[in-house]
Amino acid sequence: MILYTTTIILMIVIAPLLPSFMKMVKMTLLYKKPISIFQGYRDFSKLLSKEIIVSKETSSITSMAPFLVLSPLILTLFFLPPIVKGEYFVSFIDAFTITGLISLSTFFLMILGLDSASSFGGLGSSREAFISALAEPAMILTVFSVSLMADNLGVGQASINLNNHFPFEHMASFIFAGISFFILLIAENGRIPVDNPETHLELTMVHEAMILDLSGFYLMLIESASSIKFMIFSSMFASLFMPFGLHLPIILGVLVFILKLFFIALLVALLEVNTAKLRLFKIPNLLGIAIVFAFLSLITFYVLGV
Amino acid sequence: MTSFLIGLFIATLIVALFTMRLYRLILWYSLNSLSLALLAITIGYSINDNTMILSGFLTLVLKAILIPYILKKVSVKFGLSRQIKPNVQIHYSIMLIPALLVFTFYLAEPITNMMVSNANYVAISISALFLSLLLMIEHKNIAPKIIGFLTIENSLFLLGTTATGGMPMLIELGIFFDLLMAIVIINLLFHQEEEEGLE
Repeated sequence: MILYTTTIILMIVIAPLLPSFMKMVKMTLLYKKPISIFQGYRDFSKLLSKEIIVSKETSSITSMAPFLVLSPLILTLFFLPPIVKGEYFVSFIDAFTITGLISLSTFFLMILGLDSASSFGGLGSSREAFISALAEPAMILTVFSVSLMADNLGVGQASINLNNHFPFEHMASFIFAGISFFILLIAENGRIPVDNPETHLELTMVHEAMILDLSGFYLMLIESASSIKFMIFSSMFASLFMPFGLHLPIILGVLVFILKLFFIALLVALLEVNTAKLRLFKIPNLLGIAIVFAFLSLITFYVLGV
Repeated sequence: MTSFLIGLFIATLIVALFTMRLYRLILWYSLNSLSLALLAITIGYSINDNTMILSGFLTLVLKAILIPYILKKVSVKFGLSRQIKPNVQIHYSIMLIPALLVFTFYLAEPITNMMVSNANYVAISISALFLSLLLMIEHKNIAPKIIGFLTIENSLFLLGTTATGGMPMLIELGIFFDLLMAIVIINLLFHQEEEEGLE
């Protein structure tokens, strides 16, 4: 029980490090003076000390929605696959529940964007709806095909099964699912080929457009929600698609897990430096590739596996 | 390992179907041939067949390095347009490709029932054959059509490697030199397209 709680608190604590790490890598590669890796914490403490200003046009949604954005994501953290051996609680939830919880959080974020009735908010919300609606089917298919390979529908047990016995005969299907999930990781977290997290330019922004009106504590909640979302996706990628290291001793296992997370962040950062942002109307093509690969991984499971 | 490489083979082929840039397409073709070469070397090593290892190395040198290099050089020389727009829109190919895959897997089922070993790889290589046909069909420009032709050859090689345990060496060599000759002839075709572009 203590171990379980500790790992979840550890995940929440690490979560702000990953976006700062990605930014650090990017700035280093662009020959800028890199920011500190602890910049995420500094931003949070700065935002905590600022006052909250709410536009008088808004309804009560604006004061509720930031909590409702954060809470489904925190709930999802409890259901993620275990990161060390012998954990107290192995979750039983499947692809539908995880996708549902994540899109519940996205729904409240969109409501929040619409609430202040600024033109930017509506623009950002419609784009977010567009992207997340396309990402959902691929996400469900991908997680299901991994669950099929691991012989269990629950995500947590699937990860343990993959660790115990890796299905080498399904390697092709596994790769397709991996590619599809990586595209989803980029699309859902608003990294560069889909959305640029650093600009405030109305042509490009998706996530930033919805939270332009927020300040202080509410902004901190939303920012932490987005870093926890990245944490959820990268931790699922780490435990489902890099299935090793669960049987190490506890401290070593946690270290290996953290290394995997930073490796994923490094991959995303390298991809961000090397690619340009896609036009909004080309995003369906990228997510279409994700859907094709997810579907292909399901078919090849049946064709190649037996 | 074999399954991993077959996965890479078909994954690069599918990504090539969605590509809109010529040089990127050539890169995907090169990666496709690279995974094929590694596959031939791996299978040859496991069944202890020297000729298959040799043809794997030949694939590596010819198809993964030399032919993409020549194609890129030629297309730079003739100033072919770098944007290649497929006739079939990408929204439709998102539906079309899975349908094609299911169809070919279903089509190959009688054959896979007859096979003894590596039966499932036959289904993959036949579907790769159809996908590269789609690559030829969906483009209007000559360069992507050439790439489609070359990927058809790749998937036939895959079929030969996995289904029969390697074709005779003589046939393999013949195919390789035919391909090189084809590239030389393609040179002329590029020249013609450039003239049409000028008019």
